[in-house]
Amino acid sequence: MRGMNYLGRLASPLASVVLVLASTGLAAAQANVVIMQDPGGGYGEALRKVMYDTFEKDTGIKVVTVQEARSGPRIKAQAEAGKAQWDLTFIFDQETKLLGDCCLEKIDYSKLSEPAQKTLAAMPDNLKRPRGVALQVIGVGLVYNKEKYKGDNVPKSWADFWDVKKFPGRRCLPAWPRFVFEAALMADGVEKSKLYPLDMERALKKVKEIKPSIAKWWTTSAQPPQLMLDGEADMCMAYTGSMSKLALEGAPVELEWNEGFIYYDFFSIPKGAPHYENALKLLSWRLDPQRAAQLTSTFPVALPSPVVFEAADRKISRYWANNPANVSKAIEWSPDYWGAASPSGKSTNEEYGQEKLNALLAQ
Amino acid sequence: MTSASISVQPGRFVLSGLVGQLKGSTLLLLPAAAFLAFIYLLPLIDLIRISLSGPTWSVYFERVFAIPLYWDSLVRTMQISVTVAFLCLLFGYPTALLIHRSRGITQVLIATAIVLPYFIAILIRTYAWMVLLGRNGPVNKLLISVGILSEPAQLLFTRGTVLLCMTAVLLPLMVLSIYSSVARLDQNLTRAALASGAGPIAVFWRVLLPLTLPGIGAGFLLVFVTALGFFITPTLLGGPGDQMFAMHITQQADSVTSEGFLQALGVVLLAITLAVVAVAGRFLGFEFIWGGGKLSEAAPARAAAAASGAGPGRRTVGTLLADMIGWPLLRLLGRLPASCGVWTVRGMGGLVIAVLILPIVVVMIISFSSASYLTFPPPGFSFRWYEKFFSDSNWMLAFSNSLIVAAMSACIAVTLGTSAAMGIVRSSIRGKSAIMLLLVSPVIVPPVVLGLSLYTLFLHFDLVGTIFGLAAAHAIGGLPIVVVILSAALQAVDPKLEQAAAVHGASSLTVFRKVILPAIAPGLAAATFFAFLHSFDELVLSLFLSSAQLKTLPLMLWADVNYRLNPVLAVVSTLEVLLVVGGIVLARPVLARSREAA
Repeated sequence: MRGMNYLGRLASPLASVVLVLASTGLAAAQANVVIMQDPGGGYGEALRKVMYDTFEKDTGIKVVTVQEARSGPRIKAQAEAGKAQWDLTFIFDQETKLLGDCCLEKIDYSKLSEPAQKTLAAMPDNLKRPRGVALQVIGVGLVYNKEKYKGDNVPKSWADFWDVKKFPGRRCLPAWPRFVFEAALMADGVEKSKLYPLDMERALKKVKEIKPSIAKWWTTSAQPPQLMLDGEADMCMAYTGSMSKLALEGAPVELEWNEGFIYYDFFSIPKGAPHYENALKLLSWRLDPQRAAQLTSTFPVALPSPVVFEAADRKISRYWANNPANVSKAIEWSPDYWGAASPSGKSTNEEYGQEKLNALLAQ
Repeated sequence: MTSASISVQPGRFVLSGLVGQLKGSTLLLLPAAAFLAFIYLLPLIDLIRISLSGPTWSVYFERVFAIPLYWDSLVRTMQISVTVAFLCLLFGYPTALLIHRSRGITQVLIATAIVLPYFIAILIRTYAWMVLLGRNGPVNKLLISVGILSEPAQLLFTRGTVLLCMTAVLLPLMVLSIYSSVARLDQNLTRAALASGAGPIAVFWRVLLPLTLPGIGAGFLLVFVTALGFFITPTLLGGPGDQMFAMHITQQADSVTSEGFLQALGVVLLAITLAVVAVAGRFLGFEFIWGGGKLSEAAPARAAAAASGAGPGRRTVGTLLADMIGWPLLRLLGRLPASCGVWTVRGMGGLVIAVLILPIVVVMIISFSSASYLTFPPPGFSFRWYEKFFSDSNWMLAFSNSLIVAAMSACIAVTLGTSAAMGIVRSSIRGKSAIMLLLVSPVIVPPVVLGLSLYTLFLHFDLVGTIFGLAAAHAIGGLPIVVVILSAALQAVDPKLEQAAAVHGASSLTVFRKVILPAIAPGLAAATFFAFLHSFDELVLSLFLSSAQLKTLPLMLWADVNYRLNPVLAVVSTLEVLLVVGGIVLARPVLARSREAA
């Protein structure tokens, strides 16, 4: 009896709160907004401060962010249901092709602003695709503790990473075949120009060699910085963005770009996006060279255009993945190889390699 | 059982008359069944359809079984889950007894210590363990300073850490399940046993254990099946040899080319788990799973008889086991003084509390850290992360969203679950086991798989990003918890009491209010509590079903864990702890009254 009264008392204010929230939610859905996928964390904060707040002030369009690491599978589901929910998303290189016809709108480049056009003009054609534009250049490289490895005795290549006698210490690697297999092959003496197509069996053999020295096979980008700071690992393969942020903040980590990997995240507009025009406006905003340089100075994930690089502070741009000094040492990672069908034909190279790696790790 | 002809229907809305008398209890199953059919079975059927949609129907399944990786992983997942369930039982049982035996403020403190960790997101608890067990963490430092170790040991990223952390995460579930049985125990039985000369082990073996078997069964099942779907803890704390099956599913869910194979992995995990539960059910009798109807009826008489040394009552699995394994042991150890039992309980209970509370304390200290990353002990202290939390409207909004969704979800789960539990326990329809399995099965389905298939359904019905949609989705997982806990509680209510009330003219609603409700109040409170917490802490379904406008607390935490760890996580959990402690202090009078009523 008491329980029922209690529930009744609880229910009425609850119901009104729900109603209020539901109506504000609806209002937001109809208002002048653009719904943008957001990486969250420190990068998300930088985006909010440098990009979205200024955009809102200037255009009156509210930027609503959805924190999401991977959007590909959901864009597909939304398109299949005919209910697109997002206006601007970032996806993998391969996905601009895999999802191209079913799920992505064509980007109307002619509608972008003049500064944006300038940025784009300096970019290679492969990065300006009909259904996706590369807005983030991502680096993956060798990161080490500079208090542990000093002077001339610092790791400079994946061969050094694999050399546990010369560089004793604990390591971390991503639990993915991409990057790891390439690094293993380079450590095994394969020239970086002759990596693809990969000899997966040879790579696996080399991975098996380093396995006992790996403290953690990481899966989220927050793990390697944490592992380095906690002293769980002295040397890692990691994303250069968050690591260089740490280095800039004074943490004892240093990045080695030699034989590092560079690839791109593509920005796309899902098919049937509720605010297509607003998405183009936000895209223009983000492609503005001055603003893009300011963003990358706040958080070191660069926009792959030389125009942006020239507009940035040298002290910070030395960490950028598209710094020519870094690019010359790194290799361009091949999304095409990983997205291609594996020899068995039943899966992609990525899936095939992942299964092989998982099996090796579980041993 | 022969109660078919006089089954009592506890709902007024049910048809009256003879037909109603017969069918009433069965109809109680309808709301939950309809709910699950729409929001749970439909997506699962879709899941199976997609898994069969390859060039040939079996192509994806062939891939699952052609690669030893997946089968090995399945076996490993079972091993880890069973071990965790046993560890939870081993440490959870004494803890439940400890709660039951302590009184007043001590009891509140112990119960709070057990329940508190459950309020804190699994993510945060996992990270607290990483900090504790790290190379430069306090555990290693302590072991070195004491002289046990000469250099830091690798404690993290091992099977042991995974087991420890999963046990710590799931222990509250076990403790509360067992406690719901122990709480109904007549203290006089143990006293009678002691007075009749039984040692502490005999008391445990012949009195406590048989009487609390329903709770143990429920707890074991809940822990086991929940552990099967774990992926966050093994991902963060495990080594390469600790891949669990759900981790393969999450890995596949990130790829746009995995459609079909991903669903096949989900179907395989689901089918094998159901098979294990079915075999366990057949072997032990299905009643065992949801609280053991026959057992609890005969138990008091049997236990009393056993305690006083009189002839044995009806033989069940419990007594059979007790006789075969227990007696030889008993004769050996029977002369231990009674205080041994008390001290064992206190010692193990204390250990459990320390293990559960330690991460919380660490997290609380980190929340005052001046460093911009999670490190322990902090290099300095400051309030900067509190300022950040309170000045950020996103966190505040997410917090209130979580509260509203959880309250709504608990309402749905408890309403449907109570009705279903009564239907299960009191009706006499055929296929009870199958229905019970259906009701309990959502716990087994890996949330990743359910989220993926639910997402399509929600898109079609425009439910994505709505509070109601999210609450309903969370209730899928809340429902089994409610059903299992309440079925166990209802088993203990003597149907004769209800019949007596009905015979004296009470309407079925009155019977429910005056007889059933007071008797199951503690169970109901526990069920509501867990349904609420389940939703409050739910991350995976929310990842799929929330929207830009509807963010919950776990989602915000997840985003931070994925991209940058900072002490705001610790602030959130510290505030959650304060909120829970406040809630328990406020709820104490209510709880005390319900206990008197029971």
